[in-house]
Amino acid sequence: MLTYMRNKMVSIEIPTEDTYVAHGFLDDHIYSLNTTFQVNGADMTIQWIEGHLTRYTTPDCPRAEEPLQGAVGLCLTDEGFSQNIHKIVGRKACRHFANLILECSDAVVKTKRNIEGSENNAHADVDASPSSQSCITPQNIRPQKAKRPQRIKKESRIPFEQLEDAPDGFTLDLHVHTSPASPCASSAVDDIIEEAKHVGLDGICLTDHNHQWDPDVVAALRERHQFLVLRGNEITTVQGDMLVFGLNENIEGIISLNDLAEKVATVDGFMIAAHPFRGFLAVSGDKLGLDVDRAAARPMFNLVDGIETLNSKVTVSENNFCSQVAETLKMPVTGGSDAHLAEEVGVYATRFSKTIHDEDELITALMAGDAVPVIFRNHQKG
Amino acid sequence: MAHLISFSRSRCTTVEESSDGRMTCTCRVTDNLLDARVQIQATLPDLEIMSIESRTDHCLIGGMAEAQERLQNLLGVRIGPGLLKIIKGLMGDDPACAELAYMAEECCHGAILSLTKEALKEAPLEPSDSRDYFSGMVQKSVRLYNRCAAFAEGSSLLESIEINESK
Repeated sequence: MLTYMRNKMVSIEIPTEDTYVAHGFLDDHIYSLNTTFQVNGADMTIQWIEGHLTRYTTPDCPRAEEPLQGAVGLCLTDEGFSQNIHKIVGRKACRHFANLILECSDAVVKTKRNIEGSENNAHADVDASPSSQSCITPQNIRPQKAKRPQRIKKESRIPFEQLEDAPDGFTLDLHVHTSPASPCASSAVDDIIEEAKHVGLDGICLTDHNHQWDPDVVAALRERHQFLVLRGNEITTVQGDMLVFGLNENIEGIISLNDLAEKVATVDGFMIAAHPFRGFLAVSGDKLGLDVDRAAARPMFNLVDGIETLNSKVTVSENNFCSQVAETLKMPVTGGSDAHLAEEVGVYATRFSKTIHDEDELITALMAGDAVPVIFRNHQKG
Repeated sequence: MAHLISFSRSRCTTVEESSDGRMTCTCRVTDNLLDARVQIQATLPDLEIMSIESRTDHCLIGGMAEAQERLQNLLGVRIGPGLLKIIKGLMGDDPACAELAYMAEECCHGAILSLTKEALKEAPLEPSDSRDYFSGMVQKSVRLYNRCAAFAEGSSLLESIEINESK
C-alpha cells in the first residue's frame, strides 16, 4: 500500500546572459512548498530568493519563509555550500525548503556546465549536488558477522582498586563537542571548559566527530583552565556513532563496527554505543515497534563495551528504553550531554566513585563498571 | 526568443508498506542528464536496508556502472541517526556516486516521512488544538527545539511551555 509520495519539479530559465532563475516545487503527503531564486552566473551567488509554504503541519510553519533570505549571497560552487544551506535554511527556516533549494541549485550548476559545453562532465567539481555535504572517503565495508575481537590487556594500566577514592563522587561529562573540531558544534573549546567549571563538573571528555585532539593541545587546555580535560572521539560506523576512549588513531572514513572494535581491543580501549535508540524528529525511536529483547539482540551490542543510557539529544522515553536494554545485557552504562553549545554542557554526566586523572584511569573505571549516569546540570542549578 | 526552459527535472519518491512491515522506497529522477531509479527495502522495527537496486535508462554522467555496484555497500545500514553521513561515506563523492547516494537518501527520507505522516494523523486540525498538540510535541522531544523556524524562539508554539534541555 502506498503510504507516502513526494514529487519535486525543478526548472531553470536564463532570462539574460549569465543570469539563472530556478523554480522549484515540492509536494508530498505532508508539505507543499515552492521557491524561486536568481543566481548570478558570473560568481554563482544567489541574488534574491522567495519561497512559500502552501500546505504544512504546525500553525507556525509559515515563519520559515522570512529566514530564507539567509541564502542570499551564498555561492553555489563554494565548498560547503550545501552544508551552509542545511545550517542556514534547514535549521533556521525549514529543512524541506533546504532540500528544495539544494535540488534547484544542483540544477543551476548543471545548466551552466551544460551551456559551457561540458555536458559529459556536468557534475565535476560541483558542490551544489543536492546530496553533497562533507563526504568521507569510503573504506571497503560490507556487513559482517559480529564477533568480539580479542582484547590485548595493557599491563601499564593502574588496577581499579588502586585508583584514588572520591568520597563525594567524581563527575565527568563524557560526551562533548566543540567548534570547529565538530562542524555541527557552535561553541569553542575554551567556552565549553569554562561552562563545565561553572556548573561544577569535575572534568569533561572531548568527543568531537572523527577528530583526534593533539595531546599537547589538550595538556595546554588543562593547564590554562586548571580543569580536567580528557581526549575521546565520537566515531561514525555503519552501525551508528561510537564514543571511543584510548584509541589514538585518526579514523577518517566510515568504518565498520567490527573493524573499529578490533582497533579498540588492540589498544585495550573502551567503546560505548552513543544514543543507540535515537529516533527521528517526530517519531521517537522507541515507537517503531522495537521491544527490549529484540533490541538487546542487535549484533552491535556484542562489539561494544558500554552503552550511553543518558544523552540529552534524545527523548526521555528513548533514554528509558536504552536503560532497559543495557540492564538486559548487564553492560556498563554512561551519561553525557552530547553538548554542541556551551550552555548544554553537563545536562547529563557520569559519576565515578574514584578520582580520574587521565584517560587510562577513565578506562579502568569504565571497565570496572564504576560509572553511573546522572542528571547533572539542571539538578545542580535547581 | 521565448523564455524557454534550459533544464528541467522531475523527481518522485514513493514509499509502499506491506503488512509484514516491509517498506519499499523508490526514488525516480528524470532530467536533462539522467533518467534513473533507486529502490531500497527496509523492515520495521529495525529499519535496516535489506536490499537495494538501481536502474538507469539514460545517463550522461560517467562512472554510473561502478556507482550502481557501490550502492550495495549500503546493505545493512540502519535508517536512523547519522544516516546521511554514513551513506555519503560509503558511496564516496564521484559524480555518479553522488547522484545515486542522493537518490538512496531520498528513499530513506521517504521512509522517515512516511512514519512521520502516521504520527501526524493524531494532530488536530483546529488551530488552537493544533498549537497545543505541537507545543506538547516539542516539550516531549528536545530534538525539535530550534530545528526549524516553527520550533525556534519567538514561535507561538514555545510560548506556553518551558524547554527543559534534559528532556
